Amino acid sequence: MVMNMIVPLSELQPGERGVVVDITGGSTLRSRLYAMGLAPGVVIRVIERYSMGPVVIEAGGTRLAVGKGMASKVLVRKI
Amino acid sequence: MAMKVVALAGNPNVGKTTIFNALTGMRQHVGNWPGVTVEKKEGVFEHRGQRFLVVDLPGTYSLTAHSIDELVARNFLLNGNPDVVVNVVDATSLLRNLYLTMEIFEMGLKNVVIALNKIDLAERKGIKIDVERMARVLGVPVVPLSAKEGKGLEVLKDRIWEVANGLIRENPIVPRYDPEVEREIEHISRVLEGTKLAAKYPLRWLAIKLLQRDAEVMKLVERYLGREGLEEVMTHINEVEERYGKAMDLVIAGQKYEFIDRLTHEFMSYGRPSGDAFTDQLDRLLIHPVYGFIAMALVFYGVFKFVFAFGLPLQEWLSDAFTLLGNWLAPHIANDVLRGLIVDGIIGGVGMVLSFFPLVFLLFLALSFLEDLGYMARVAVLMEGILRKFGLPGKAIIPLILGLGCNVPAVMSARTLDNEKDRLVTMFVNPFIPCSARLSVISFMAALFFGGKSALIAASIYVLAFAVALASAWLVSRFVPGETTPFVIELPEYLIPSGRSLLLHSWERSKEFVQKAGTVILLGAVIIWYLSNYPVPVGTGGSYAERIGHFFEPYMRLMGLDWRAAVSLLFGIIAKENVISTLGVIYGSPEAIRNAMAPLQGYVLTAVTTLYIPCIATIGAIKSEANWKWAAFTTAYMVAVASVVGILIWHLGVAMGLG
Repeated sequence: MVMNMIVPLSELQPGERGVVVDITGGSTLRSRLYAMGLAPGVVIRVIERYSMGPVVIEAGGTRLAVGKGMASKVLVRKI
Repeated sequence: MAMKVVALAGNPNVGKTTIFNALTGMRQHVGNWPGVTVEKKEGVFEHRGQRFLVVDLPGTYSLTAHSIDELVARNFLLNGNPDVVVNVVDATSLLRNLYLTMEIFEMGLKNVVIALNKIDLAERKGIKIDVERMARVLGVPVVPLSAKEGKGLEVLKDRIWEVANGLIRENPIVPRYDPEVEREIEHISRVLEGTKLAAKYPLRWLAIKLLQRDAEVMKLVERYLGREGLEEVMTHINEVEERYGKAMDLVIAGQKYEFIDRLTHEFMSYGRPSGDAFTDQLDRLLIHPVYGFIAMALVFYGVFKFVFAFGLPLQEWLSDAFTLLGNWLAPHIANDVLRGLIVDGIIGGVGMVLSFFPLVFLLFLALSFLEDLGYMARVAVLMEGILRKFGLPGKAIIPLILGLGCNVPAVMSARTLDNEKDRLVTMFVNPFIPCSARLSVISFMAALFFGGKSALIAASIYVLAFAVALASAWLVSRFVPGETTPFVIELPEYLIPSGRSLLLHSWERSKEFVQKAGTVILLGAVIIWYLSNYPVPVGTGGSYAERIGHFFEPYMRLMGLDWRAAVSLLFGIIAKENVISTLGVIYGSPEAIRNAMAPLQGYVLTAVTTLYIPCIATIGAIKSEANWKWAAFTTAYMVAVASVVGILIWHLGVAMGLG
């Protein structure tokens, strides 16, 4: 049941919220995301997304735009 | 007394530059960090009789080995022996800002002062911070600041002075991880203990960095402990990760945030945890997938309207002033050769380029305003999806737009991109973007040959130039080695920038234009003057310039042009405006140009002028930002592309009966 709720960040719609559970992909990518506030346990909210471009989110009071490829590697649990 | 060194560290967009400017005023120096194209800013201030050298480290979110900026900052903190480290943090997003702070603390530094910036903004959002408690919890002095209003600056100077003189004993708190992680940190520490490496760097920092597989620290371990030493440590880390079922860097980052979260609860309470309402409202429009693009088009239309409405009169005025100066000076120089060189060569050539300074300055003023406002990050987000298809990052839109003003600062601005590959490709295609000098050629030729349809014709040249630039980016990004950096960018809250920092920022950037362009163009102007006056003046058919033109004539014929076009293009290498002035000299008048050439030929010459080569100043900028090879390759490629395009347009036009 809970497993079903875990989706890539790239699939969240504007207005939806989630908790980051895992980040796959290379270490360069991961460390960049951590430092910008996207780490396991952090709550995020999707503000805007582009069909061919990045996803804009809010995490910990900051707004981040995350490229599509990158967003598909961030796994979140919908809340 | 010797100067004490103060390092300024912090995230991007936290007001670090504002604090730097407030501390040092105009006494600053901008250069590069040794060996890399990362900007190094230094400035000096004096407090209580002590002189301080402030080194502004690149703005970074962390201190990993993954980007040059972060490495530069980290190496300075580790090996630069600063007397004081001022960590600027943004009070409105403390959680993320303290991530960097924790990394600094983990390095074992005990001379840190935290500058808690934007405290007024945080209060307005209902974020309450007990500063004294925060200082006690973190174990270092904390100074609340509102850099924009200049509040708290004197207190910050006091703390810097006290730390520099050893009056404050610090006990910075370092993150504690889960017992299992701590056990691994201890294990690795024991392996490293007693080695020469451990004498140079803090043990705990080395251990944590190894667990995160930091490439630079791994190199260090290999150098000091040999390959076996490194392998032993890494085998152990592999086992740990297998046991965890997760990468250790992920575990450490997550736990670091949990630790920070617990810390902040001791001294901070949220009123409204969400972002800025004004930013929310504005972004609903400005980053909208449809309206956002319309807004962007309007904004940049406004920028160019502003720049040209105010800049063109100034440019004409300056250009007239240089002419007057030349006329006034001429009778005072007895020697013919010297007079020609100074009046026609130097004042005529350099003056022509310098007269563009108001346009460049106003363009930078407008763009700095958009950048400081926070809008440029939005543009990068809007463009990311489109530009990525052509092998460019979304952030490359900024150099591309700057290129419409002048390619020299545009090429220089490519250094803000994340990796070498992105930088090279962006620099490579930038000279295709028609700068304001080419705008003058394009509008002149379009009006001369196409009268009523001139706007349409001029627009078609811009479309052609952008199409060539994008196609070239697509092509060359396929062959430049290196990964493309994944896109992630912070969208700062909108903030009306202060006039002072805007002026400082624009002046700094446009100053580089005058310095870099001025020197090469002086040389170029002298060369043009020589080639067109020796052995006999141009117009008689015997000048060196005309001889060179005749030499290229067979090649020019392929695109329907003759030696006159060759001479104009040759001089255009120095500065693109020269194409018109040279045609003027050779033909005698604009009407003569129109009578001698068919509209199709005029169009071909305009297209070729737009595409054929970067001007000398731009070549110089590419050389200094990349290397000679890249500058030479860019130049050769442009010559080839312009030839192909010129030949194609000419033959297509002739086939359609336009010749």
